[in-house]
Amino acid sequence: MRHLFNFIIRNSHWLVAILLVALSFYLVFTHNSYQRSVYLTSANHVAGMFYTASDNVTSFFFLKKSNQLLLERNAALEKTLYALLAENDSVEVSDSVGMNAFVADSAGQPQFVFIPAKVVNLSFSGVNNFITLNKGASNGIKPDMGVISQRGVVGVVSNVSPNFSVVIPVINPKFRLSARLKNSENYGSLSWDGKNIRVAQLQELPRHEPFHEGDTVLTSFSRIFPKNLIIGYVSETGVSGDDNFNTFNIHLATDFYTLQDVLVINDLFYEEQKALEDILQ
Amino acid sequence: MKLSYFYEIALFVMLILLQVLLLNRISLFGLATPVLYGYFLLKLPMGRNLFFVIISAFLMGLIIDIFLNTPGMNAAAFTIVASLRKPVMDLFFEKVEYDAFVPGIYTAAGPFVRFTIFMVLLHLTLLFFIESFTLFNLMSTLLRIVTSAAITILIIITMDSLLYKRKQSEHT
Repeated sequence: MRHLFNFIIRNSHWLVAILLVALSFYLVFTHNSYQRSVYLTSANHVAGMFYTASDNVTSFFFLKKSNQLLLERNAALEKTLYALLAENDSVEVSDSVGMNAFVADSAGQPQFVFIPAKVVNLSFSGVNNFITLNKGASNGIKPDMGVISQRGVVGVVSNVSPNFSVVIPVINPKFRLSARLKNSENYGSLSWDGKNIRVAQLQELPRHEPFHEGDTVLTSFSRIFPKNLIIGYVSETGVSGDDNFNTFNIHLATDFYTLQDVLVINDLFYEEQKALEDILQ
Repeated sequence: MKLSYFYEIALFVMLILLQVLLLNRISLFGLATPVLYGYFLLKLPMGRNLFFVIISAFLMGLIIDIFLNTPGMNAAAFTIVASLRKPVMDLFFEKVEYDAFVPGIYTAAGPFVRFTIFMVLLHLTLLFFIESFTLFNLMSTLLRIVTSAAITILIIITMDSLLYKRKQSEHT
């Protein structure tokens, strides 16, 4: 008996090690299937604070580039604004001449509201890429909202704490999105193979579909993103597992290396659409 | 004795911050990421209490996991490495060396380099295999382990020579 106790005491550090390793693996397996715990992710307050402090320093180095992007975006918006103004003028003129039986509600409720947020952390080093934003539930962000940048689609919100949120980006193997080429209505599935953070894969597109290098890839039906947002551009034909379908490598429009400012999409009709669709299930 | 503890706590905090704020954003050729926090285990005195070693390693892994949104992965890999530290040390260093002996490039260059290579390879192999459980193919995982280990070992050896030199000049 004494020998047994001695044995246990002499090797008790192994016991502790085994317990801790078991605990770690428990965390690995439970967490990765739910992805909803706030305390053990960077959405928690302390980790978020550190990332904010570090971002205050690093964002400085990208000011010039961000500014350039804003100017470009501004120019594009101005262009559309003038086009719309011109169109508006012509509509008013024609209206005053004819008579309409039906006038659309011109002050319609907008479907999408955009919440601007700043990226406080990015992780690209491995399989579990994610982005942390400096806005959270107190700013109206909820899980499953879409996130875009000035250039294109970024990802989907997964965890939210009061002041921070974690986004699963396009460049995460868990991310799936239906997408289509600009000049066609057939849609395929967008995913990422883990190799290059500038390139994602568009799969399951019918083989007869014509395409050219440089074709724009847009979002298709999705509960998360509005239609026709830019995802990226076709760069080449990839390896396909199935003879009837094409796989393309897509050069992503969003440059994740220099991502600083994003917009979170608040779809005001999301709950309504979901409730309606859930009735049928 | 007290100074040594203070030094270890500072190393603990600095390595975590370095890892999560800087190194984890590096992805050389889309493959190699330096994983430097294992340096903490290398620099603990040889005869340090095993509970202390294992529990501090677990805590370090867990804190890094919280920052990187990978709960359990770093903690699991690092705890295993910590529990194997003592047998591995017995393998590379001579038994006669006293308990307060801290491995380093100037105290025992050859054994320290071999010890570093072994520990880093062990750590990264565990880490990347836990991380890529089912998702990725074997070749890309192996390539990531080898390239990441190479850059990590290089940084550790450079850092050790620099830190130790500065300490010497402070003493004189």
